[in-house]
Amino acid sequence: MKILIVDDSNAIAMVVSEYIKELGFEAYHASNGKDAVDMISQDDIFDLILLDWNMPVMDGLSFLEFNQENDLTKSPIMMMTTENKPEKIMKALELGALEYIMKPFSKEILELKIQTLKKAAA
Amino acid sequence: MDNKPVYPILAKFVFDNTGIFYGERDYYRLDSRIDKIIRELNLSSEDTLIEHIKSGHDQEVKAKIIDICTNNETFFFRDQNPFNALKDDILPDFIDQKRVPEINIWSCACSSGQEPLSILMTIFEKYPYQNIKLDATDISKTILEKAKSGIYNSLEAQRGLPIQNLIKYFQQVENNCWKAKPELLNKISYGEFNLFSNNYPKEKYHVIFCRNVLIYQNMENKNKILEKLYDSLVPGGYLIMGAGESLIGSSIELEQKSMAGTMVFKKKDAANKAAA
Repeated sequence: MKILIVDDSNAIAMVVSEYIKELGFEAYHASNGKDAVDMISQDDIFDLILLDWNMPVMDGLSFLEFNQENDLTKSPIMMMTTENKPEKIMKALELGALEYIMKPFSKEILELKIQTLKKAAA
Repeated sequence: MDNKPVYPILAKFVFDNTGIFYGERDYYRLDSRIDKIIRELNLSSEDTLIEHIKSGHDQEVKAKIIDICTNNETFFFRDQNPFNALKDDILPDFIDQKRVPEINIWSCACSSGQEPLSILMTIFEKYPYQNIKLDATDISKTILEKAKSGIYNSLEAQRGLPIQNLIKYFQQVENNCWKAKPELLNKISYGEFNLFSNNYPKEKYHVIFCRNVLIYQNMENKNKILEKLYDSLVPGGYLIMGAGESLIGSSIELEQKSMAGTMVFKKKDAANKAAA
């Protein structure tokens, strides 16, 4: 399973990347929504996208909107953010995010969320 | 490992009061618990703890030891498959086939409440108007208080709970916590209950969840509890145990059935029993 982490924090990307590798998956990193768009446009190989909300250049919500408008990818998208208000969560879900993980979180929570998505896709 | 005098005394106390068995090779698992008991009861030493246990009068000490020496590990939709079995096989058996007007369910070691809430969310997704009676019990008073509150911090709320369920069935409260909505909490009757006791509920249940409890019991106690749980099931009722638990060594007559990737245990239907 190839997982793209879209997060402007290298520190967070590194930790999450470690989690992903420990879970037996491959981790890739984009620093913002625009980088993610470029990577996916070049090769739409990801089985899951972990998407931060607040990022420079293109934030998570703009990425979701871009994806809806341009049909960039069908990969499931899981928000991964400190934004935790119900109205924000609902907004992201409305725009196509399938899951939502609130920072901070543990490796186990990430694993459980990935399992839920995999089962839903099966 | 030191062979502390407190080990066998505490282990016997826990066994006598809960049936949970700490053998000599499990004594190391008591270390952190002993420290916690001493700290929380403000005792001066392990010797003082021994004195308290031996005197046996102090209910606060007793409750605290039981709280600390029982395992409260749980999370939402733990193991997932039992909830799929409930949704796809067990509920249709009672609701669609047998037309049971009210389903009685017992989560008999509910810990901090994630299991009964997961049961209700599962039912509501498929049978939103079904009458449900859900009893949730645990031996630990402290953990039961948490279950009754229905409040979980962000980490607890995210352990196993899909985001759609969080948004639909919980409301955000202070300190980044989430509280189960009244439509869930009001459906659950919480109560303190020791599976090791002789006063089982008079209620008969269509489904009993007793997961990851019996693995801590020795064979004799496991069988005693299983017999009482068997008696608490309606004919045709289901017992759901933990993923690693089985009826091996037990003589109770429950049919093992594979459902949704898990094993569940069914009591014979009244008609089948009469015919047998």
